[in-house]
Amino acid sequence: MFGIFRKEAKQRKVVVAGLDGVPYSLLVEYMARGIMPELSALCAKGSLHRMKSSLPEVSSVAWTSFMTGRNPGQHGIFGFMEIDRNSYEYRFPNFSTLKEKPFWEDHGLKTVAFNIPQTYPARPMNGVLVSGFVAIDIDKATYPDRVLKYLKSIDYQLDVNARLALQSPDAFFDNMFHAFRKRTEAMEHLYDSEDWSLFIGTITETDRLHHFFFDSALEGTHYPVFEKFYRELDRFIGRMAGKAAKEESLFLTCSDHGFTPITSEVYLNRWLVEQGYLGLNGKEDLTAVDGATRAFCLDPSRIYVHSKGKYARGSVSSEQHDTLVKEIKEKLLSLRYNDQPIVKAVYNKADIFHGDYEADGPDMYILPEYGFDLKGALNKKNLFGTTHFRGMHTYDDAHFLISEKREFQDISIQDIADVILKYLRQ
Amino acid sequence: MHHSARQDEGGFHWSLSIDCHAVDRYGNADFEAVFQDVRFVQEVRIGMMKREDKDRLETLHIDEKINYSKSIVREAIGRFGIDRLAVAITGGKDSTTSLWILKQVCDELNTKPPVCMFIDEGDVFDEIDELVDHIRKEWSLDVVSLKNDDVSSLATHIGRNVRVADLNEKNRRALEEMGYTGEEFPFIPDSTICNHLMKTVPMREFIVRNGVLGLITAIRWDEQSARKDEDFFSPRTNPDHTRVHPVLHFRERDIWVAIFKYGIPYCSLYRQGYRSLGARCATGKASDIPAWLQDLENTPERVGRGQNKEQVMDQLRALGYM
Repeated sequence: MFGIFRKEAKQRKVVVAGLDGVPYSLLVEYMARGIMPELSALCAKGSLHRMKSSLPEVSSVAWTSFMTGRNPGQHGIFGFMEIDRNSYEYRFPNFSTLKEKPFWEDHGLKTVAFNIPQTYPARPMNGVLVSGFVAIDIDKATYPDRVLKYLKSIDYQLDVNARLALQSPDAFFDNMFHAFRKRTEAMEHLYDSEDWSLFIGTITETDRLHHFFFDSALEGTHYPVFEKFYRELDRFIGRMAGKAAKEESLFLTCSDHGFTPITSEVYLNRWLVEQGYLGLNGKEDLTAVDGATRAFCLDPSRIYVHSKGKYARGSVSSEQHDTLVKEIKEKLLSLRYNDQPIVKAVYNKADIFHGDYEADGPDMYILPEYGFDLKGALNKKNLFGTTHFRGMHTYDDAHFLISEKREFQDISIQDIADVILKYLRQ
Repeated sequence: MHHSARQDEGGFHWSLSIDCHAVDRYGNADFEAVFQDVRFVQEVRIGMMKREDKDRLETLHIDEKINYSKSIVREAIGRFGIDRLAVAITGGKDSTTSLWILKQVCDELNTKPPVCMFIDEGDVFDEIDELVDHIRKEWSLDVVSLKNDDVSSLATHIGRNVRVADLNEKNRRALEEMGYTGEEFPFIPDSTICNHLMKTVPMREFIVRNGVLGLITAIRWDEQSARKDEDFFSPRTNPDHTRVHPVLHFRERDIWVAIFKYGIPYCSLYRQGYRSLGARCATGKASDIPAWLQDLENTPERVGRGQNKEQVMDQLRALGYM
């Protein structure tokens, strides 16, 4: 743990700008349009890569894989929620329930970890921690106290008020720009005033904008907002990269997943009910799961077999398990929406999860085709539907930018920790 | 709840009354066994604990685990002396199990247990108070309750804003020391400010005032990742003392096995489904069935701690989850 870095290596620094939900393909397009000149300049000196997210491709899982360099089977975070196996009530894993340490703790790196999703509640560490989504109380989201005091002094906002998107797009955009400016102000302040060898600051306004308005990312009603926002983001990236270059630090940006517009939402629990796999006694709540239930879904598309011995009312025996999984898999792969296939791949647990906590993972994970947003919602009367959400996550279109000319074979978010550690050890 | 502590108006005052007669009785019948255990402890504790040693300790039979804990306690008594040791008690399952082990050792050595320090952070479950009162009588403990009365007299309810100017000088200094210069702060137990004022400050003062050299606490390796590199004896500064962790190698299930095997008292909240206890306002049930019947190996112990479920759900829903 100690003494692995030589003296000169100790002075090496790494700066990461996390850009939540920013797709590789969008950055390429915006650079072509001249919206992101700073990024273009960085790409000329360094290299931009298309990157894979984690599975499931949601922020809590992907950023945890980023922080630990581990698979969900090792770090134990499979989504934003789990259910209790006895009461079937929702549980919310958080930073305290994480099974692995972030790599900076494991390697004794003095770190500023700013607004990374799934780091709430904050705990003491060697450096600064400001928790990201789902952070509730700023007092518990900040370590140490002098940073809390500073954040309060600038009226720092933990997150965008997402509810505004439905009520008034203009109010939402105002709130988003405000949150973004406070966030970048705080980030640059901490960059300059704190002592660190690893600085990670994540922007999450990108993800919020995309969830509600990604159909305007290339053209449409709200395209001017995208352009304005990404120009500001580009200037921020330029400032951070400039600071990093001045002290010859390695500079990275990365996203935890990509985004694509939604053709239709697809409600997997509704599908399981229609197919006779799930019984809820007419209720919209997994606590109503009946003894005949064979499978249920948790967001975004984690399917759990209702196994005997594992769940209080579980009824599927271990002999029936594999047959059931195979049957569901075949049916899902043949699902169509206006003749378009919905499911790109169905993974069994062992295909994608490995580690001490593998057993906690879903029995199956469904990766959709672009445009089909798979959901675990329980209050739906139809298999398909649309809501006010206009963007969905993608697995294979996250991005990774590094201020060095580098080649990577098939890089995923879990690999970044290793890139950083290798650089620091050089 | 009855504590033997008194608090004066100006700040903190604790009375201490311990008979010091352990050390001179430390060397009779138990001497050889104690000495062997100490050697074993020292072997294991050279430098950072090795993975194999941790693994071996974590997989011991429950009685061997307890024996190992006893050896830690004996070493602590030998190193610091019974009158310079204190025990932090919380009324939780780990704390009570650790205390029970300590009590066994003290009985074997025919000495009175060290002073027990209970921190009242301002929002204690009644059930916790009941349990602490029960073991205090049952085991004839000297329990000192630490409470920052200056803060809690101003905080009439949870969430109430406390004006810094209304606090006494000691607390104002403590806020300054942590870099807080705001005019007021909300009284929320388990928040950073309240933890500092209500827990850290009184505990530090207790350690200094009583010349405590060793403070026994009941943390466990498997409880949360921040604790997985802890050692059985862990030196601390500000103020200088050593933390002693006799049940570090216990897993959550071991605690329950020990509780039922040896009839150790436990707080009734665990029967209701709570799995890990903190301030009342910041602690939720993990399930509706008793803690010991829950899936201890596959679900997180601290899931009910430090979060507001409704607010988390609300935020997740706003982004289209659930």
